[in-house]
Amino acid sequence: MVRLGPAEGQGAAALDPHTLSGKGGEHVLTRVVRGEVITPENTIFVQLCFEGPDVYSTAGGLGTRVTELTEMLAQQGYTTHLIFVGDPTLPAVEERYNGRLILKRWCQWVSAYYPAGVYAGEEAKLYDFNESVPPHVLRDIAEPAVRNGKVVVILGDDWQTAEAMCRVSDLLYYNGLRHRALMLWNINSLMSLHRINWGRLNFVTTITTVSRYMKHRLWSWGVNPMVIPNGIPARLLEPVCKDDARRLQDIARQGDPQRLVLFKIGRFDPDKRWLMAIEAVARLKYTGHPVTLIMRGGIEPHGGEVLMRARALGLMVCDLEARHPSTANCFDLLAGAGPADIYNLRFYMPEEFVRICYAGADAVLANSGHEPFGLVGLEVMASEGLAFTGSTGEDYATSFENAIVLETDDPDEIVGYLLHLQRHPELQQRIRVAGRRTAEQFVWEEAFENMVSKLEYLARKQSIVLS
Amino acid sequence: MARDLVMYTLVHQPRRLKLPAQPIPEGASIGDIRRCLFDETLNERYFRKVASTSYYPAVELFSRLARAGLKLAIALSRSFISQAEQWDPALLVHFRNLIAEPNIELVGTEPYHSFLMMLDIPAFIQHMRAMRDDLERRFGKRAVVTDTTEMYMAPAVYHALERAGFSGALMDGRPWVLGWRAPTYLYHYPGGRLYLLARHTDLSDDIGYRFSARTWSRWPLLASTYARWLRETPGDLVFIGWDFETFGEHHHRDTGIFEFMERLPEELRLVGIRSLMPSEAIAHHGAMSHDLPLPAYPTTWAGSGGIEFFLGNAAQQALFQLMTQVYMVAQLTGQPELLDCACWMLQSDNLHCIQWFGRSGAEAAVSAYFTPREWWELGADGIVREQQQVYQNFLRAMAWHLPGRRARQGQDMRKRGI
Repeated sequence: MVRLGPAEGQGAAALDPHTLSGKGGEHVLTRVVRGEVITPENTIFVQLCFEGPDVYSTAGGLGTRVTELTEMLAQQGYTTHLIFVGDPTLPAVEERYNGRLILKRWCQWVSAYYPAGVYAGEEAKLYDFNESVPPHVLRDIAEPAVRNGKVVVILGDDWQTAEAMCRVSDLLYYNGLRHRALMLWNINSLMSLHRINWGRLNFVTTITTVSRYMKHRLWSWGVNPMVIPNGIPARLLEPVCKDDARRLQDIARQGDPQRLVLFKIGRFDPDKRWLMAIEAVARLKYTGHPVTLIMRGGIEPHGGEVLMRARALGLMVCDLEARHPSTANCFDLLAGAGPADIYNLRFYMPEEFVRICYAGADAVLANSGHEPFGLVGLEVMASEGLAFTGSTGEDYATSFENAIVLETDDPDEIVGYLLHLQRHPELQQRIRVAGRRTAEQFVWEEAFENMVSKLEYLARKQSIVLS
Repeated sequence: MARDLVMYTLVHQPRRLKLPAQPIPEGASIGDIRRCLFDETLNERYFRKVASTSYYPAVELFSRLARAGLKLAIALSRSFISQAEQWDPALLVHFRNLIAEPNIELVGTEPYHSFLMMLDIPAFIQHMRAMRDDLERRFGKRAVVTDTTEMYMAPAVYHALERAGFSGALMDGRPWVLGWRAPTYLYHYPGGRLYLLARHTDLSDDIGYRFSARTWSRWPLLASTYARWLRETPGDLVFIGWDFETFGEHHHRDTGIFEFMERLPEELRLVGIRSLMPSEAIAHHGAMSHDLPLPAYPTTWAGSGGIEFFLGNAAQQALFQLMTQVYMVAQLTGQPELLDCACWMLQSDNLHCIQWFGRSGAEAAVSAYFTPREWWELGADGIVREQQQVYQNFLRAMAWHLPGRRARQGQDMRKRGI
């Protein structure tokens, strides 16, 4: 495998041999189409992804990403097809935003055998996806769009779509349509990279990723992705009700105004460094700094290890259960739970309550050891919370400016910074305000601007006329 | 010198497996299992292609020749019939009209084009009987003479066909099978009532394989030359046989194969050869039938005429083991539809199309010709691996349908909300 250094990167800059004849790079670059931009009138989007907006289809940040990205595209007026492994009990095709967002629930016949979720029966779904999506994109989306003079932007996310993207490109090429399509394949995780035919994928698509950290990780696979950061929906910038945040603090401090309130949310995955967070809580407690951790994990088996460690360290864990509670229910549950060091929320938290926790906690521990982008940290900032992030994909975080960036997996690093911040409330406030300003720069509309500029650049590389 | 000629063609399209292997969801219904096993899109594509290059023009040709007096035997596999029913019912009407001609004899064949006879001889007898009834229902003629699969013949199969009620069967007349005997006589197993027509391999292959080979020293073969060769062959009768697809598909129209066949009846007449249908040949020559002690080692019409064409390499042997497992597990499920799937998976074509594995030469070239070109993307090892995976997937999928497990898995499924 060819190893590319940063200066040798080709990826996006490589000419697409499907659309250019000969080595006419210089010639092509002179054919810049002036004044032509991507608009809803000349472009449609197709998003391929296993995850999507259904509860069935959401396993992590990827589902959120594609849902919000495609919704934003539709809101901007672009016809957008989202093809994902959808809930088998919901309609195969569903239109939203006056028909501009078309949800296509794929592999439903396979999913019917695997009600546990999007990644159950993954191999069977993958086969079906690879076989059936490409001809659908060709016949039912690209051909009519090109007939109407449009450019088709095809976005694929994560390893499951890599083969389908290659096949779509081949089909478009053999049918004389490849020169009217821009294809971007985005990678959000390091899962199953060994199953990707990188040479082929890099040849037919422009590979993108969500952070510089991921870009550098991908160099070892011989590709040099372009970075298009994730975004957050603008609604997350709505201020969190201060009274709610105070109420949360009052409950969590359990009558002790000096008691620290921490919050952590995420899958029970060792990459999320749950054990580091638990150790930090224990060390605070046993050094005379009372603390409450409100936590929300997933259904993953690592959760058992995390809670066992907490109990082994002498932390009092209180499990809270509910079914689809409202924000008010969540407050009531916490208030009535009695004293504890850790409140383990074993229910789906409403977004509003999550944001109250972001804003009300003294710190939100988004302390992952590996994070392609770290959406939680950004969401915390949008809520004017104080995020403790890891130091991998969180390009947006600058330590002690808009967040606290943890450099190690040492629980004492969390403890030290928390105590420092406790002594300097003005610093806390400054970070919170700066964090919010940062988040404003990462709304989807901003991310889309970034993407559009890259699409227009790629259109020029392919000599695509955007009329 | 031979004065009688029996001509036979087999119409067959394989039911090709889906490669690369499609994973079968746990607890999949039989319909979904079937969809994962067989590549019907690929099958339809090949069917339509061969229909236009061979079936339509050749049926038209043979209908004309039959009306003009040429006699011909024809067999149709169920594999072909069900594909025609599905994708081109009009073609089946053409075949029905051809078979209705008085000079056409309908011959039987193992319906799945499978090697069931190697695994389960009672079931084979049952299938052959059912096939005969089915063909009669469809075409209005009852087969009294039969082929098997790839002209597979061995003592057990001989006795089975006799028990199934046939009066004649087709086999390949290889020297290593016949010994000192010539293929140009009618035979029977010592003490048996079933007559055996032995295909003349060389004269058949002159048309079947060599006709369009420009490197062949006898190219181009003219009908007059061929008729003379037939007439100069010592014996009572010459039995020649080919794939029906020889006409238009294996040898394209521009090779002159249709013109050759068009001319052949007249040339036969000129040299004094009459054409007979197999049952007529039996009627005429039955009294002079000779003993033929069939070797225990099975013979076929492929390759060098032994079963090694299908079971000669490690990949074929591994696949045959999987075929055996698939058939036995399907029997244990007690589900006729799964048994039906298993029989399709016993198709000889699945072994035929990997004969090339680890081999080279003319036989490997023939095998590779019958391997779907779409599969070659997988590479040689990939084809073998994925083909085996189809069987493995089927075995795992069938486990959900075993009677003892159905109840327990039903509980699991309910727990999972299916």
